[in-house]
Amino acid sequence: MRFFARRRWFSVFALILLSSAAVLAHIHGSAIVPRFNYVTGWVLFAVILFLSIYNVRKKLPFLPLGSSESWLQFHVYAGLFTAVLFAVHVSFKVPTGWFEGTLAWLYGLVMISGLAGLFLSRAAPKRLTTFGGEVLFERIPAIRSALRKQAEALALTSIPQVQSTTIAEFYVRDLKDFFEGPRNFWLHLFQIRRPLGTLLNHITDLNRYLDEKERATLAQIAELVRQKDGLDYHYALQLVLKGWLFTHIPLTYSLLLLTLVHVVLVFAFSGGAR
Amino acid sequence: MDSTLVIVEKPQRWDARFDEQMSEADVDRLLTVPPFSVMNAEKFPRKLSVRDILYHDTSIKRYRKGEIVVRQGDYGTSAFMVMSGKVRVVLNPGLPASVLGRREPNRKGFFRSLAQLWSNAREPESFRHSQLKADARIVRQDEGDSAKVFLQDVPRILDEHKTAMIEHGEFFGEIAALSRMPRTATIFAEEDGAELLEIRWQGLRDLMRYDEALRTHIDQIYRERALATFLQSTPFFNGLAEDQRRWVVEKTEFATYGDYDWSGDYKRLAQTGTPGRADHESIIAQEGDYPDGVILIRAGFARLSQKFGHGHRTLNYLGAGQMYGFDEIAHNWRNPDSALPLQYTLRVIGYTHVLVIPTAIMETVVLPGIPERNLPPLITRKDDGAAKISKRDAASLIGPDLLEFLTENRFFNGTATMTIDLDRCTRCDDCVRACASTHNNNPRFLRHGLVSGNIMVANACMHCGDPVCMIGCPTGAIHRDAFEGQVIINPATCIGCKACFTNCPYDAIRMVEVRDEKGVIMVDQEMKPIIKATKCDLCVEQMGGPACERACPHGALARMNLNDLDAFAKWLKR
Repeated sequence: MRFFARRRWFSVFALILLSSAAVLAHIHGSAIVPRFNYVTGWVLFAVILFLSIYNVRKKLPFLPLGSSESWLQFHVYAGLFTAVLFAVHVSFKVPTGWFEGTLAWLYGLVMISGLAGLFLSRAAPKRLTTFGGEVLFERIPAIRSALRKQAEALALTSIPQVQSTTIAEFYVRDLKDFFEGPRNFWLHLFQIRRPLGTLLNHITDLNRYLDEKERATLAQIAELVRQKDGLDYHYALQLVLKGWLFTHIPLTYSLLLLTLVHVVLVFAFSGGAR
Repeated sequence: MDSTLVIVEKPQRWDARFDEQMSEADVDRLLTVPPFSVMNAEKFPRKLSVRDILYHDTSIKRYRKGEIVVRQGDYGTSAFMVMSGKVRVVLNPGLPASVLGRREPNRKGFFRSLAQLWSNAREPESFRHSQLKADARIVRQDEGDSAKVFLQDVPRILDEHKTAMIEHGEFFGEIAALSRMPRTATIFAEEDGAELLEIRWQGLRDLMRYDEALRTHIDQIYRERALATFLQSTPFFNGLAEDQRRWVVEKTEFATYGDYDWSGDYKRLAQTGTPGRADHESIIAQEGDYPDGVILIRAGFARLSQKFGHGHRTLNYLGAGQMYGFDEIAHNWRNPDSALPLQYTLRVIGYTHVLVIPTAIMETVVLPGIPERNLPPLITRKDDGAAKISKRDAASLIGPDLLEFLTENRFFNGTATMTIDLDRCTRCDDCVRACASTHNNNPRFLRHGLVSGNIMVANACMHCGDPVCMIGCPTGAIHRDAFEGQVIINPATCIGCKACFTNCPYDAIRMVEVRDEKGVIMVDQEMKPIIKATKCDLCVEQMGGPACERACPHGALARMNLNDLDAFAKWLKR
């Protein structure tokens, strides 16, 4: 069995084992330990706190704190385990108070954003690799600008060359906006290639009104359109890959903050609760 | 298609002289001293006379007291002969690293590592003055783009270290020059006016080819100093009895193929998009020929290929310590009635220095001493007569496309090549940030590079097995770490001459303008910015190894030794 598969099976097995233990503890624990919810609450809080420390580990690459890969593995499976702990902590009931409700929603959002990030980080790299044309995200604006300049220059050179404005007009009408900035963000994200096909169809249609020289120019513009579309594809996927953490991390910190308030409130108002 | 031919001058052996200052009078003088005075001019071809070789391939250099001629651990492509004056070699344990212009290994402790969190510079390439201060026991004198380094207190060096005098007429540095191995000792001038003849390796090779005395002399030195030790560390030869080993050493032949300056050619070809192709490489041994000896790769690399259709398919590449022809010779020794010719072709990639142990010696001395179980399996053949795919076929391990990619782009040279699995890489740049954090906020690589399938070889120093960047550093600033062998640069002794930057075929070295702690650009007396070479040092000073590798959350990045394709294949199929 390959390393990744072996690791996955081991982690899933550990997760099932721990989850079963947590559910069993919930069933029998209340009878043995008074205030059993306090125990599950503290464990949940400790696990979430530890999960959030992963970001600190990333800031300390110079310390021998284990590989980021191992941390992420732990982060993923411990994160999944918190769902079981959370369910046990709320006794498999939906919280009814507005504060607890907010806390539960926030926890849910952190979990969903984490799962979305996991899905993205597994699916998007393969899509980018298959698409080809590897490009650094920071270089995209400069490359886009260069493509636009090339396309504009080609559109303009055709005017004195063949005394015709057909390509230039087509560029202004159909391509100028396309080259201006990133386009078709959501369509690229969902792998919908229709806009490129439409543009290329327009280009093909235009060919019938052009002479030999103009057709050669248009073929070069079509190539630039393909390159720009590829750049947009990389932009969309790389932006999402980089951007999802900007949702996950602020939500996590908000969750930690509200959890602290929750702890204070529980202890402040639990005087008579036994 | 335009059928006009473009006529260019064919590159010649002596297009560029080693030293333009070398005059006819100098050559006349050389021809009056041994060994040149006793060389038989008639043995040399008319187009490659002794006079021509001395005129084009040598340089007479004068050294001042304390001046370092060669440094232990440096790579060089020329040999020296003492003409006059006193020259000394420092015997083991040699001079301290800092005197040789190197950085003393200094791994950071926990607190110094942690302090990087707040002490990293805000401006790029900032250095403390103390970091740029060289050892006081040496002094540097700049001469144009080059520099000379002098030992300050020669009597003290003589007092504190074991040294030996090199006599007039004696050669040194010839093994390093001919076999591209690191220099084994430091040599310096003991007094002013010491005169040395420097011969570049092409000249030495030609002199050896046509002068038997010189060839015998260098042969003998090579056999005594290098060959015996090498065989002792090579499988199948390390079990030989002393007299057997002596016999093998005596009968072993050695040769250098290709061009030492392959990196320049490779760079030019890479820029035109046609880097190393098998059909451009010269052949060391050909498939179908009689195996007249086992070929041991001593330095450099060779491509193992097999006929496939009308071309040749790369099966593997061989590096230092690997063998060719052993399987066939062992097969034929056990089955003299069904003897087989060589099953593969061996080609030079760049340059290759090889040892050839003749078949007769293998059959009479080496093979009888190897237990049957340790011999390679007999070669079996397919219906079409070709050898069955053997363990040598790395293409079956990592795929033919990837193997061609690594070979054509010379990536096999890397012992810590940054390979990125693009199917797992989320382009998060955690690796780049980790690199910056561990290098005073200066990332030492670019997460970009050539791609084959889902594998990218990023633009980072590969810590090459054959480090061409280390040839010609005038101050010894670029060197191998004494403990782990990483190729590192000492900023204190780097003079910004760009020798390493120009030599590196992979563009992994950058020249940068340096600043002081306050972020102000440092300048020299002529108000020109101080330039230093920088590159990945494989986190040699950090705890826990390369930060880039440890920082990757998805296990997409690994620093791989591409000489070990088994490990690479395992990583690919993890």
